[in-house]
Amino acid sequence: MRLSWTIVSLLFAASFLSNNVLTAADNAVPQATTEAAMKPYAQPIAQTEAAIDMVPIPGGTFKMGSPESEAGRNADEGPQHEVRIDPFWMGKCEITWNQYEIWGEKIDIARRKIFGSPATPNDELADAVTRPTPPYTDMSFSMGKQKHPAICMTQHAARMYCKWLSVKTGQYYRLPTEAEWEYACRAGTTTAYSFGDDVSKLDEYAWYEANSDEGYHEVGQKKPNAWGLHDMHGNVSEWTLDQYVPDTYANRKSGVRNPLVVPSKLFPRVVRGGGWDDSATLLRSAVREGSDEDWKQQDPQIPQSIWYHTDALSVGFRIVRPLKAPSDEEKATLWDKTAPEQLDPVVE
Amino acid sequence: MTTQSHEASRRSFLKTTGAAAATTSLLSTAVSARAYADEKNTVQLALVGCGGRGTGAATNALSVDNGPIKLVAMADVFESNLNNSHGNLAKQFPDSDKLEVPDEQKFIGFDGYKKAMDCLKPGDVVILTTPCAFRWVHYGYAIERGLNVFMEKPVTADAPSTRKMLALNEKALEKNLKVAVGLMCRHCDARRELWERIQDGEIGDINFMRAYRMAGPTGSAAAPPKPEGISDLMYQIKHFHGFLWLSGGAVSDFLIHNIDESCWMKNAWPVEAKASGGRHYRGDSIDQNFDTYSIEYTFEDGAKLFVNGRTIPGCHQEFASYAHGTKGMAVISSSSHWPSKARIYSGQSPDKQNLAWEYPQPEKHNPYQAEWEHLIDAIRNDIAYNEVERGCMASIVTSMGRMAAHTGQVMKLDQMMKLDHDFAPGIEELTLESESPLQPKADGTYPIPYPGLVKNREYA
Repeated sequence: MRLSWTIVSLLFAASFLSNNVLTAADNAVPQATTEAAMKPYAQPIAQTEAAIDMVPIPGGTFKMGSPESEAGRNADEGPQHEVRIDPFWMGKCEITWNQYEIWGEKIDIARRKIFGSPATPNDELADAVTRPTPPYTDMSFSMGKQKHPAICMTQHAARMYCKWLSVKTGQYYRLPTEAEWEYACRAGTTTAYSFGDDVSKLDEYAWYEANSDEGYHEVGQKKPNAWGLHDMHGNVSEWTLDQYVPDTYANRKSGVRNPLVVPSKLFPRVVRGGGWDDSATLLRSAVREGSDEDWKQQDPQIPQSIWYHTDALSVGFRIVRPLKAPSDEEKATLWDKTAPEQLDPVVE
Repeated sequence: MTTQSHEASRRSFLKTTGAAAATTSLLSTAVSARAYADEKNTVQLALVGCGGRGTGAATNALSVDNGPIKLVAMADVFESNLNNSHGNLAKQFPDSDKLEVPDEQKFIGFDGYKKAMDCLKPGDVVILTTPCAFRWVHYGYAIERGLNVFMEKPVTADAPSTRKMLALNEKALEKNLKVAVGLMCRHCDARRELWERIQDGEIGDINFMRAYRMAGPTGSAAAPPKPEGISDLMYQIKHFHGFLWLSGGAVSDFLIHNIDESCWMKNAWPVEAKASGGRHYRGDSIDQNFDTYSIEYTFEDGAKLFVNGRTIPGCHQEFASYAHGTKGMAVISSSSHWPSKARIYSGQSPDKQNLAWEYPQPEKHNPYQAEWEHLIDAIRNDIAYNEVERGCMASIVTSMGRMAAHTGQVMKLDQMMKLDHDFAPGIEELTLESESPLQPKADGTYPIPYPGLVKNREYA
């Protein structure tokens, strides 16, 4: 089954490698209304060279958190509790610089101008979505761009990217919730890692402190988990939608469906999966990490940027698309809700 | 992860201010009457230029933990800048001991620098963080008032103001004023150790260095068309990276750090520059910058420094400096400004097996904070401290590379120092109603460089 999915997605990807200057201005992706109909697909980004590979994640129930017996376990990983998750598609890999800079550096707008191609209605709407102020530095920190994961963005920036992508493509994309992330990472497993408890196999699945050579690596080079997701462990930690609250699990009813802790403070917010500079134990499926103000340490501007975490060199994100797109009201009260509001300073 | 008790992530560091005490001699409270006069040991600050970096510098200043220090006056030409700055400082220092800027000590206008400095006593500190065009004007008054100074880089954008700064500095030296220039990489522990090792011959003689600041659109280097309702002068100041008279543009403002740290390691300033660059993607931007700059500097002994700067979206990005010597190579910096990740390799390529030395990671002492600790320490203990000459040299050397690209000519340092193109004549007389020293053309664009066609000045 997975093999044929792979072929399908290869075919999709291949259609975007044509020699045309601009790819077809066609955001059409397979639509599915039932879980059974969900297939892997590549989401093109109109008028650019980029596409984002998405894989279906079946709905189901899992045990969130780790058992007390798990080596290296932290208190915030318990108590384990039952969580129900609705189906969604998830990025096969972390969002890469090639995919991220289209928004961050306005590549789509530049290409339209240079090649004289008109903006589609979606483009016009997408152009109205806020983009980040230009940074003062190379945010890849000389570690490589293109197929390397985009890093150093705040959760606000990652959320805004999803908003832009949604408008641009006509599909609803967002960050995963912390629960969706762990569910997808485990891919049906109950062990410390998605491949079992044997830490000696970590090198086959993840870039981390012991094998990363002090930098991130191109996405998708290590083995995927059982649901076809690469680099869930390691390479870069990934943003989720949630506020980090250490005792979230203790206050949660078992059997809860699609839980989310809507953020009301800037720090800490949840990243998952560990990164290239983390030790093996920080890459476990259940590990929770909260963002910290220190992640902005070398930003010499005050106020510090709402877009960049200058010191979060191993923090990135991947996107999800729920099978059932939420209503505007659900977006406003749950999925897109966040406080405090993030605004760039205005100089009159 | 300050919120949890388990194994710390590498992404969490000690708070910079906490780390400071361990690394500099901040414990002395002996105060020289000559160094500064306040009988209560309080260092008072005035902030001239309240943008993001100015507010950041004030934050660093108020975080120095070696005696009472407070901000008492602020000046800017944009009221919103000043108010945003004050609001942000108030958020960071709710303890009002550090922030005592009554409304009557907030000054809007081009003469605000005088009024703000007039709120200080000799021996206090003024922070000069406006675009560098105004630096010599403000520095002159600071010296007159007997103030110690922190000024941001670059300190000049053209030759005439460089000569003025160097002349002014003679007076500052006579008065024993402590003056810092915001080339903070010079205050980085890792780079300082690397410098020692290079001077000790660990990579042999340096014959080749290379530096990169290749990024996407940066700061305000690309200035979109001016909207209605704001004067040319104020619009240019708002987008100061876009205009050579204000900032020296993308070269001066962005490349100076990598140029300066490379020259520091070589212990010399280059005597000549050849360069190329061009504009391909400015779109409807009205600024004077090129998209890309490649500069070849030559030192007296024939050694080379190659500098690559780029502000084009979507390309390879690198922000790093390397020195190659007869016995090996050094990484001066490889991850933006900080951490430096300074290293020495026994060969010419940074291969793991050739690693001869590396500065221990993580680096805990943020150089933006360190430069302030060093300055205030020098003030409190009356240690000679003046970085202006090297700030001027870094600025003019950077401008020499910029001009070589903009004119298409080989530029020599001695020739550069003598140039008479004053980018901002009459700047000391500017008011909020003044015309800008740089006038737009009828279509709203500005004069840009034409290498080979305009050779004696960067724009006509």
